[in-house]
Amino acid sequence: MSGTNATSQRHINDRSLTRASHDRPTAVISWLAGPVWLAVALLTWRWPDADDFPNTSLLAALFAFIGVILLAATTTGFLKKRAPWALAIGIFLGGWEVAQAKLLKLPRPFFGTPQDLLDVFITDWSRLGNSLLHSLGLLAVGYLVGSVSGIAIGIGLGRSPRFRYWVHPLLRAIGPLPPVALLPLAFVLVPSSFLAGEALMILASAFPVAVLTWSGIASVDPAYYDVARTMGASRSFLTFRVALPAAMPQIFVGLFMGLGASFAMLVVAEMLGVKAGLGFYMQWAQGWAAYPNMYAALIVMSLMCTGLITLLFKVRDRILIWQKDGLKW
Amino acid sequence: MVTSGLSLGLSSIHHGYTINQDFQAAVDNVTLNIAAGEFVALLGPSGCGKSTLLRLIAGLEAPSRGKVSSDGLPILEPNPERVLMFQDPTLFPWRTVRQNIALSQDICGKRDEAAIDGIISLVGLKGFERAWPHQLSGGMAQRAALARALINHPRLLLLDEPLGKLDALTRLTMQTELHRLWKERSFTAVMVTHDVEEALFLATRVITLSARPAKILSDIKVNLPFHRHRDDPEVLQLRKSILTQLGHRDDW
Repeated sequence: MSGTNATSQRHINDRSLTRASHDRPTAVISWLAGPVWLAVALLTWRWPDADDFPNTSLLAALFAFIGVILLAATTTGFLKKRAPWALAIGIFLGGWEVAQAKLLKLPRPFFGTPQDLLDVFITDWSRLGNSLLHSLGLLAVGYLVGSVSGIAIGIGLGRSPRFRYWVHPLLRAIGPLPPVALLPLAFVLVPSSFLAGEALMILASAFPVAVLTWSGIASVDPAYYDVARTMGASRSFLTFRVALPAAMPQIFVGLFMGLGASFAMLVVAEMLGVKAGLGFYMQWAQGWAAYPNMYAALIVMSLMCTGLITLLFKVRDRILIWQKDGLKW
Repeated sequence: MVTSGLSLGLSSIHHGYTINQDFQAAVDNVTLNIAAGEFVALLGPSGCGKSTLLRLIAGLEAPSRGKVSSDGLPILEPNPERVLMFQDPTLFPWRTVRQNIALSQDICGKRDEAAIDGIISLVGLKGFERAWPHQLSGGMAQRAALARALINHPRLLLLDEPLGKLDALTRLTMQTELHRLWKERSFTAVMVTHDVEEALFLATRVITLSARPAKILSDIKVNLPFHRHRDDPEVLQLRKSILTQLGHRDDW
């Protein structure tokens, strides 16, 4: 008995040892992140620019501010897991600043300097913000209408043979077609480019949602229906309180795919017809060779897309809380 | 609340399924009357059509020929008075234990929280109300399924090998519990099983069925007092004769 105790004691010690040795570099990195940002700030401020770039001292102040925040976060113990990333971003920004703003090593005008990017956000934030709102509006309407109709079509396909008879061939004919292919037609048929963009986004998101809702409903264990039926369940109970919740995991796969498809459709619609939004902004920036603006729009768009995907996963985690395990975004 | 069981009448039932365009008979001319409050065990080789009989009684399917009636009225569709319990717990994974047990109340739109609490403690699941089905052990899941079946005081409980997948010890406990619930609530019970011992422990009547298509081979009244012991000489004698009938004279 005492023997096994001793062994387990040693195991625990081993584990805590490995944990400590694993913790040490993280702790060092954590203490390194703030000073590196401060050093980058000093470099930016003191090393003269190679050309006339705007906002150099403001950028230096921003770096210094972030450095101070990181230091504070380290002392209060907030910065642990993310410390390596904070350090890496600091080194990347410092390297970029030195390579371009101080030494002009990258081809211009495709590569701007960090100050150019900062300048875009300072001078053009209202247009960027408006573009973001416009894109979000276009996306929200198209995606929501598309998803809801996709779920409705999927339920119809899964639960009603007559609906399936008429709609399945249509789905097979239209669904696999990339919505982009309908773009020229849509801009001719639909009176406004905004509505045409919406129509295509609805198409893009409805198809995967419909197919996966249907597949989810088709694979529901028939015993679930038997259980509910022996208790006197109506058809609508079987559809909405048995089939639909059972199909939820698949429906969320469809919603995820549909969201990706609507992102693509959003950018294409905004680049080719809709005269507003982030896609339009990027198109415009590229036309004027305003590359920093293009990068800025790209950053905003990336934040928007990842934010929306995160939101979708949060909703999924809420609704599918009953699942044993799931992918964490 | 004490419920009274309902009586069942099956008259010359024929039933079968079309598999790959071939008609496969599953039930062949079964006539059977079950009185209110009986506990009938249907014994037979696996795949003989016992479960089909239960589905017909539940009203999930209509027989190809013949008539199924309860209390003299024909059975045309499922009814909450007749509840079927499966070999698998078939709990809905998206509902908690409590929500699963409340299923039939949600279906008829009348929640009775006190009744739910009562049945939860009756089957010994107190403290697990908020658990998800995947967190339960096999025995606990089957208890939840039992509670779900019994919550609305059905007058007939149809059991399709409900203990078939449990480990031997959990099985013993659940058999005792089933017996206690049947005594307390006096519903009629029809249980499909291929465990002769289980049938003799629980049933007032054991009906043996032939291999597919199912025909009634024998109908044995078990006139032994409860609480029966599995090594009771009379139980052993009955067990031997039933096994012999099912063609396992040398195997037991």
